[in-house]
Amino acid sequence: MELEALLKKYFGYSSFKTGQKEVISALLAGEHTLAMLPTGTGKSLCYQLPGYIFAGQIIIISPLLSLMQDQVEQMKRFGEKRVVALNSFLSYEEKENVLMYLNRYKFIFISPEMLQVPYILRKLQCLSISLFVVDEAHCISQWGYDFRPDYSKLGEIRHALGQPLTLALTATATSKVRHDIIHSLGLGKVKKVESTIDRPNIGFYVEEIADYREKEKRVLELVAQLQKPGIIYFSSKKGAEYMALLLIEKQICRVSVYHSGLEQDTRILIQQQFIHNQLDVICATSAFGMGVNKENIRFVIHYHMPMRLESYLQEIGRAGRDGKPSIAMLLYSPGDEQLPFQLAEGELPSQQQIDWLFNKLGGANSRGVRLTETLKEHGGFTDIQWRIIEDMFNPLLLETNSLQDLRAAIQKFTEDRLQAKKEHIFRMKQWIETNTCRRKLILQYFEDELTTIVHPCCDKCGLDLKHYHSTKQSLQEETDNGTWTDYLRKLLINSGLSK
Amino acid sequence: MAKNVVVLMVQFKSIILYCVKQLNSERTIYSIYHLLNGKKSSQTIQDAHLFTLKRFFGILEPLTRESFDQMIRMLQAQDVIYCSGEQHFRLTPSGELFLKEHPPLNELNGWEYHQITSQFWRRLSLFIQVVSNLEYQETSYIPIQKGEDIHQWLKAVLKEIKVSKKEIGSMTYAELIKCFEEKRDMNPSALVFRLTGYQQIGLTPFQAAQKLSMGWFDYQLEFINVIHYMIRKIGEGYERFPLLSHLHKGLIQQHGLTQSSRKTWQLLTQGHSLETIAQIRQLKISTIEDHLVEIALNRNDFSIDAYVAEPLQEEILQISRRMASRQLKLIKDQVKQASYFQIRLVLARNGG
Repeated sequence: MELEALLKKYFGYSSFKTGQKEVISALLAGEHTLAMLPTGTGKSLCYQLPGYIFAGQIIIISPLLSLMQDQVEQMKRFGEKRVVALNSFLSYEEKENVLMYLNRYKFIFISPEMLQVPYILRKLQCLSISLFVVDEAHCISQWGYDFRPDYSKLGEIRHALGQPLTLALTATATSKVRHDIIHSLGLGKVKKVESTIDRPNIGFYVEEIADYREKEKRVLELVAQLQKPGIIYFSSKKGAEYMALLLIEKQICRVSVYHSGLEQDTRILIQQQFIHNQLDVICATSAFGMGVNKENIRFVIHYHMPMRLESYLQEIGRAGRDGKPSIAMLLYSPGDEQLPFQLAEGELPSQQQIDWLFNKLGGANSRGVRLTETLKEHGGFTDIQWRIIEDMFNPLLLETNSLQDLRAAIQKFTEDRLQAKKEHIFRMKQWIETNTCRRKLILQYFEDELTTIVHPCCDKCGLDLKHYHSTKQSLQEETDNGTWTDYLRKLLINSGLSK
Repeated sequence: MAKNVVVLMVQFKSIILYCVKQLNSERTIYSIYHLLNGKKSSQTIQDAHLFTLKRFFGILEPLTRESFDQMIRMLQAQDVIYCSGEQHFRLTPSGELFLKEHPPLNELNGWEYHQITSQFWRRLSLFIQVVSNLEYQETSYIPIQKGEDIHQWLKAVLKEIKVSKKEIGSMTYAELIKCFEEKRDMNPSALVFRLTGYQQIGLTPFQAAQKLSMGWFDYQLEFINVIHYMIRKIGEGYERFPLLSHLHKGLIQQHGLTQSSRKTWQLLTQGHSLETIAQIRQLKISTIEDHLVEIALNRNDFSIDAYVAEPLQEEILQISRRMASRQLKLIKDQVKQASYFQIRLVLARNGG
């Protein structure tokens, strides 16, 4: 059957999006593939469709548990029942059950830390794996957007699984990162499919604003003017909360806040309300967006300065998936780079914390030394900081007995990471301050090229914000659902059905 | 939000005033805080009985000490309570008057229901979502409640319900209306607008409070009042609520579980795994397994699917039937991949 026919049969689409067909063809020809496809272009289809052709299992390694759950749910909704996620969400019994009948599943999502468990790896070795997929492959590289130490061991795992055909997927990766991916996975000859990361329907607009007061006012103005729905990104939960309350108070539109501090039930509701157009604007932290498939997002505003161009690109990529004109705005006030610098430092254990920890651990010999919850607490380590310590500590213990060496290694690591983070913030700032075309500059950063003329392009190329203003005069669609009885009746009685 | 706090705080105020009155200055004001929080200390439990405040036990679990202090300061400033000794308070005449005009919500039944309130809501919200989507013949949607347990529960309920898919929506509607109609002095809005269905996502607690112009705590209390009313009403007559009764079944523990198994069951419903339960309770895994077998015997709402895959259950059952035996060893010899625990679970589920 032709690929298009399969696409129609299993997914109901009549044509492929950019890059998908090249990736699938390469895989069918047995070539290892590194695919760099922009967010929102259906990366998952690149392994799902081959799944219907290959005889064996498809293993998908995914770094984010929530993302994994979303993908599994989505596949189930589209009628694929032979899909499972192996991660820490499963109880012991559930995991045992899944492992016992592993060969009944076609698509197996697994978290990198599960792959470290020898028992699970042995189970996987019993399968016939047709395709080994590494999602968010940039996590492999220290230079990547979101380096994960477990990811750097995927090469060994792949080897242990008999070097199956491999697909590495990423949305944003510089050539350095791409090199790391191929090298770390031990892929040798690789077919690279790099569709342009440019999203021509998204315009760039950076606005410099005197101070925070003015920024608030400007957001109120923009939200009233711009065509909705939209997302406003903040680097802090507090900032997002505050702006959401302000917008609610001014009754400019239907708005809600979203961040990881909310209860799970509430997060699900807000996400769903936004998808169902019951909300116009979400004030969010970066916790929002992963797995949110909404086509008609018209604007993404960054209230704070993102930590790096990669995350920026990922976040604005949620706009305009329907291909219609959308705007990515960044509001910058002098001194805004202080916040990302602080955040970058906060993500790593500080020099003082490392000193404190090793003084506590005492002695020169590492024998019997253990990292305890008490140490974490007393040293004031956050979860993220502690994970870095743990990730470094235990593997290194196997290599050295000297605490001095360990300390030096951890120090070196954090220094390097901090330096890298600072460079990224610096790049981001350069992009904000540029006098040339923003689209060209961001593409240049990813060694990509602008092949077509994009219009409207960015503020430097004369983009006019009016283009993105709402044409509707009405303030907000009234969401009055009448009385509670009306509401219940509408939920439970389909008046359109003749009975 | 902040500016209307006084006006919007009627229910919360009423309950605190009621408690102050009942305590009669014999306990500190913080005993009210512990009561509303549902603190499981013998002091708090005794107080709840002694001062007949059981119905407010654990009805405001999210209440923080700061908010409580703030509330007490505000009530003092409003001159409805006065300090009668360190951390001790009494009602002023205007406090008495307020309480007379605004008696506390009358369906609250914290002592009996506080442990099952959220479970009832989880069931109700998922049930309504599924029924609504059935009514509109929509099969693709995101379940509003996560968790294998509750999904299993729902599947089991749908199997048991003998109503055609065409009828289930309007029948559910009729039962809900019947349920609420018998309580004219209560407005079910606090609950109804939180429900999710076909292409209509329910409000979050914060949004619902806003829509109804209620203060945060007043909203929480109204919501719980509606839930407690439903639990009581449905529990009083399963035959009058053939569909809604499924939300109630197995919620209240009147089954013959031993004390220890009941504890295990509680932890299980909170989502703990067998191992963590053993750890928490400092018991051997095999003991916890015994509990699970007991639970499987006694509670229909406990699904064993998470412990024994369905095909394996089938196999064990068939062999047990074929050999007409419930002897574990004999069955085990035939189904090598099953553990004794799994075999016992399957047998327990199917009639012990």
